[in-house]
Amino acid sequence: MSNDHDHDHGHGHGHKPPAPMVEEISDFEALEIAVRELSIEKGLFTAEDHRRFTEFAEHIGPTPAARMVAKAWLDPEYKKQCLTDGIKASLAVGVDWLNPTGFGTPSDYTDLRVLEDTPTRHHVVVCTLCSCYPRPILGFQPEWYRTPNYRRRLVRWPRQVLAEFGLQLPSEVEIRVEDSNQKCRFIVMPVRPAGTDGWTEDQLTEIVTRDCLIGVALPKPGKTSNIKLPVHKAVNPAHH
Amino acid sequence: MSSTTREEILRHLTAVAELQPPVQKTGKAPYPTEITHELFRAYTRSPHDVGGEHDIPCDWSEEEHEAWGSRAYVTTECLAWRGVWCAEERRRMQNVDVGTTQYLGLPYYGRWLLSAARVLVDGHHVTLTELINKIDEVKKRHEPAR
Amino acid sequence: MSQHDRTHHAKIATGKGDPQCFIGTAGPAKFKVGDRVRIKNLPDIFYTRCQVYSRGAVGEVAVVTHESPAPEDEAWGHVDHSEWFYIVRFKQKDLWPEYPDDFPNDTLQTEFSERWLESV
Repeated sequence: MSNDHDHDHGHGHGHKPPAPMVEEISDFEALEIAVRELSIEKGLFTAEDHRRFTEFAEHIGPTPAARMVAKAWLDPEYKKQCLTDGIKASLAVGVDWLNPTGFGTPSDYTDLRVLEDTPTRHHVVVCTLCSCYPRPILGFQPEWYRTPNYRRRLVRWPRQVLAEFGLQLPSEVEIRVEDSNQKCRFIVMPVRPAGTDGWTEDQLTEIVTRDCLIGVALPKPGKTSNIKLPVHKAVNPAHH
Repeated sequence: MSSTTREEILRHLTAVAELQPPVQKTGKAPYPTEITHELFRAYTRSPHDVGGEHDIPCDWSEEEHEAWGSRAYVTTECLAWRGVWCAEERRRMQNVDVGTTQYLGLPYYGRWLLSAARVLVDGHHVTLTELINKIDEVKKRHEPAR
Repeated sequence: MSQHDRTHHAKIATGKGDPQCFIGTAGPAKFKVGDRVRIKNLPDIFYTRCQVYSRGAVGEVAVVTHESPAPEDEAWGHVDHSEWFYIVRFKQKDLWPEYPDDFPNDTLQTEFSERWLESV
């Protein structure tokens, strides 16, 4: 925005002050810029590194994990591979866990485990210590997964928490909570629901939502989205 | 004995919720004898270790990320990619070293960002003076014209 | 912080991944699937990834996962010593005294490095 005023703004001047030439930034924004610029100045990483990792981060999402489950439902041999070598099985859905560094993302490691639900056992995942999550195949965590509230309560009151997400299971079904606290990363492979006979891989993929892959929902024909929750908006959102 | 350990653990999970150092009180540190084993454990716990603590049902929600938060995440991963630290060093600094008040009081990516700043200094990649000067310079760049 | 050669991890892990880069570094695993183990209540000053809620609890080794430096060491960049890691499964009613009897089959499992486990 241009500033046409060329005189002082003294008291009682009656003008609105001109729009700032640059935007004010928050303490966080100032620190973020400072850390990134210093890191690059000191040769700790390059601007190109930052761009490449940003691109990686902007392209991850839950579809590959959903497709992995769909493929496993259709192909018993592939399902076996998913359950014994999650990293190798990920290649079939286009995810190479060694990307983008050649040795994996620093925070997500390279040991994916697939938790197989049965009619008498349902898994649900949490990281009580932080928010460990299989980002390369599932994208970024929902905010609720990161909260102390979810992390405090899921391990001790799982049925209450699941009920809050709309999921209630019979009392004889084993609810198995996986507390993901080390280098392994987990996705849930739900039981293929009734009403999906003859479905294509694409159709099955659509109903395996992120919520199903964490274990707070079960897949159902016609249900192709996660639980609808209010979204707190950012002031200067990240562009995707 | 196992059952005594379990009893201690279950008391601890309740005690941490009541932990509020008496900042309004006499303005002096507690006497050593005032710190029971239970209090010692509560004060020296890893703040990130919240599993099994009491909490109330809440309204689940989603949050749109600020651009600075996404950039800070990328910065921390680039620092690890290029060997300045590893993810576990980051988690230690970001989720434990910050202490309980900052752990619960700061935004999620705020702590990622703080730990990235911290590793630059702790790792002797920049001096604190350099960091301070850079932050000051960045802020001045963005001050509105007067 | 890690004052060592910053290219070290890339050198050992490129093309392999992490924890794959630590294969063979921990020696023989002390425990196997099915073993009953108790979680030790070791001192946990400054940093731990062994959840307090698990201490003193008895569970069963469900999976022997991989070798890696323990997080208590890795958190300061010490990667010279590795341990075997294990997913241990607990009955929820053994963890929480108030866990309802209505749900007798519910379980919880989480992962420990070997130092945290002792035979029962």
